[in-house]
Amino acid sequence: MERVPKAVVTVLPYGIKVDARKNEPLAAVLERAGILLNTACGRKGVCGKCLVEVRAGRLSPLHEQEFRLFEKKKLERNQRLACLVRVGGNLTVGIPATSLVRETKILDSGPALKTALDPAVKKFFIDSVPADLASPVSFIDSLRAALKNSRLGVPLGLLAGLGDFLAGSGHGITAVVHRDREIIGLEPGDTRDALRGIAVDLGTTTLVVELVDLNTGKTVGVRTALNSQLKHGADVISRLASAYSSRENGEDLRRLVVDTLNDLIGGLLEKSGTAPESVYEIALAGNTAMNHLLLGIPVSSLAVSPFQAVFSCLEELRAAELGFMIHPQGKVYLAPNIRSFVGGDISAGLIASGLEDKKGNYLFVDLGTNGEIVLKTGGLWMATSTAAGPAFEGMNISCGLPAIAGAVASAGGRDELKLRTIGGLPPAGVCGTGLIDLVAFFLKRRELTVQGKILSPEGRLRITPGLALTQDDIRQIQLACAAVKSGMRLMLKEAGLAASDLDGLYIAGAFGRELNIRNTQAIGLLPRMDCDKVVFIGNSSLAGARLVLLNRGARNRVEALASRIRYLSLAKDPLFQEQFIEALEFGIWP
Amino acid sequence: MKQAIVEGNRVEAESLAREAVRLGLDLQETIEKGYVPGIKRVGELWENGEYFLPELITSAECMKTAMAVLQPELGKIGRTSAARGRIVIGTIEGDIHDIGKNLVAAMLQANGFEVHDLGADVKLERFLNKAEEVGADAVCLSALLTTTMLGQRRFIEMLKARNLAGRFKVLVGGAPVTRKWANEIGADGYAENAVAAVKLASDILKK
Repeated sequence: MERVPKAVVTVLPYGIKVDARKNEPLAAVLERAGILLNTACGRKGVCGKCLVEVRAGRLSPLHEQEFRLFEKKKLERNQRLACLVRVGGNLTVGIPATSLVRETKILDSGPALKTALDPAVKKFFIDSVPADLASPVSFIDSLRAALKNSRLGVPLGLLAGLGDFLAGSGHGITAVVHRDREIIGLEPGDTRDALRGIAVDLGTTTLVVELVDLNTGKTVGVRTALNSQLKHGADVISRLASAYSSRENGEDLRRLVVDTLNDLIGGLLEKSGTAPESVYEIALAGNTAMNHLLLGIPVSSLAVSPFQAVFSCLEELRAAELGFMIHPQGKVYLAPNIRSFVGGDISAGLIASGLEDKKGNYLFVDLGTNGEIVLKTGGLWMATSTAAGPAFEGMNISCGLPAIAGAVASAGGRDELKLRTIGGLPPAGVCGTGLIDLVAFFLKRRELTVQGKILSPEGRLRITPGLALTQDDIRQIQLACAAVKSGMRLMLKEAGLAASDLDGLYIAGAFGRELNIRNTQAIGLLPRMDCDKVVFIGNSSLAGARLVLLNRGARNRVEALASRIRYLSLAKDPLFQEQFIEALEFGIWP
Repeated sequence: MKQAIVEGNRVEAESLAREAVRLGLDLQETIEKGYVPGIKRVGELWENGEYFLPELITSAECMKTAMAVLQPELGKIGRTSAARGRIVIGTIEGDIHDIGKNLVAAMLQANGFEVHDLGADVKLERFLNKAEEVGADAVCLSALLTTTMLGQRRFIEMLKARNLAGRFKVLVGGAPVTRKWANEIGADGYAENAVAAVKLASDILKK
């Protein structure tokens, strides 16, 4: 029987391995693996959008079309077009975010985004720990010898039970080592298969906790909950004010978030049958204020000008110290804060976005309350926070709602206004993306002027018999848009770039999917640019937390990035007021 | 002239002012009957929602330009237009937000008040020193953060401690500031926005 020559294609960053036949078109292989490539030109090798990066292995020789794109500088040395190439042998390819069909939420759930697995927590099986009467080496030293690392530390908490543990270790033991530096756990028998960690998105409004298998990189479970700190205020500043005003409040804030996280973690562990003591690490991505409140650190410096954080980057902390219910010697890693309010959620998000490897000019925008904007141009990184306010989350808007069932998430239409709500329920209010669509709709209909004045006879913009946008609502939206818009413009100006120089615009935050790019541009929240260049990356903070959990190298990278990023202070810019006032007007820019 | 202010036409506002000087008109009257109705109308348009921040700023700038032509001329003939009041304004220490405060300052000035704008992140001492130096009728404290607005309370307490309570009026404003807070800390007045601030100042400083 003739054997068809086989090859294994490894697809990064998903870590998936797919069996393929030699000479099989790569696009077909990827399709089988569930990767939806952008094949805009119908696989003719013309649009160049399905490009993949060859990391290792063999492909068919260069196709004429590819050569043409190389000449036009649309392809780089190790980039090939998936629609034209064929598998030559075992190979490893990387799929950049921009080659995927936009609708795919690549950084949320779906194919587990992971890179080479190299978690900080590793397990080693030790068959037996020999004891020699001739040289009765200490328990710790015999462990170190077995693990071939004479410098391993052992925390005090482990020492007490060490003797008894080793005495009863008939069937071998599994040592849990952190960063090749410390033995943080010892388990009877061979438990290498059971290695799980936790990734957390420490959001101001919502907390997301993910249980991850550190051996495979797969997500075992996800849970979310509202951040119970909300009772101290919906926004970061209110919470800081609360913590600032009394130690009791600060302690309450800390306890509230730790308790909620423990509940979420506990629920996940129970559902998956994972014992808490078998979890040895948590990786967290949150903004600066959230990080300070979590650690119970005084926030006085952050609450007033010049808004300085107490810490940016920290070595892993002990879970027990912070109150987390995993193994007491377990570690907690916080993605580093960048500067002032631009924090770990952004540094983690940037690492997850893949922008580090991209050449060119890119904007990364987190359209939430803090409206962080990051610009990458060549080797230079700049970040700022625009304090857009919660309008995009439906707050301070008379009919505003967060993105929950019943909220109008998109709207439009030619003559008649058509609405689409989350969950298909009758409209109970409007969420961020819906607000943007509605403003664009009424502007087009000239029932709203670009200066923001409502022209309709009733003085409101009618959505349904029961819902309408008031003049005040429009003003709130103008202010929020102006904040983000002027932030972007000042940043581009500082870098000497025009919006047309951008090679991509990455949008992070819950908005993602529902956001209508055209409408967003029509009202002026985002600049005029090729819609294809806009990429939604969903919850990039969570993806970043997962990344640093699974790969220690990512920690070095995120720390290096955080310290490299230049902080642009909008407040200090004498042009800010002028730009802001000008930006209040709706309309396409530039 | 009213038209020029309402429309935010700086060139027109200025040229009309120069024309008035050239024609030897009563400049005091020019201001009161020509320009002031303009800025008052702008206030009305803001209140009914027609005008927003950009329009306020532009109109206030027009007033400023016109006044820059007219005031010196009045000074030459020894008739300085009496200010309706002397005000020291600034954003409180620890806070850097100033757009709203700038708007209030601009509108107060456009409406005939003498305004000393200390900028942002102003220490409490500095407010006090300036107020004493110029003989202020009122000190306006702006705060945009729930953290920094506590400084407004501290300022009032500082005045009490130094037996200066009542020396001048203390007016407060800023996004997190409310009438309730103003009452709680013993402020003399609260205004929600630039146009309301003008009303407040006019009422409180009636001579």
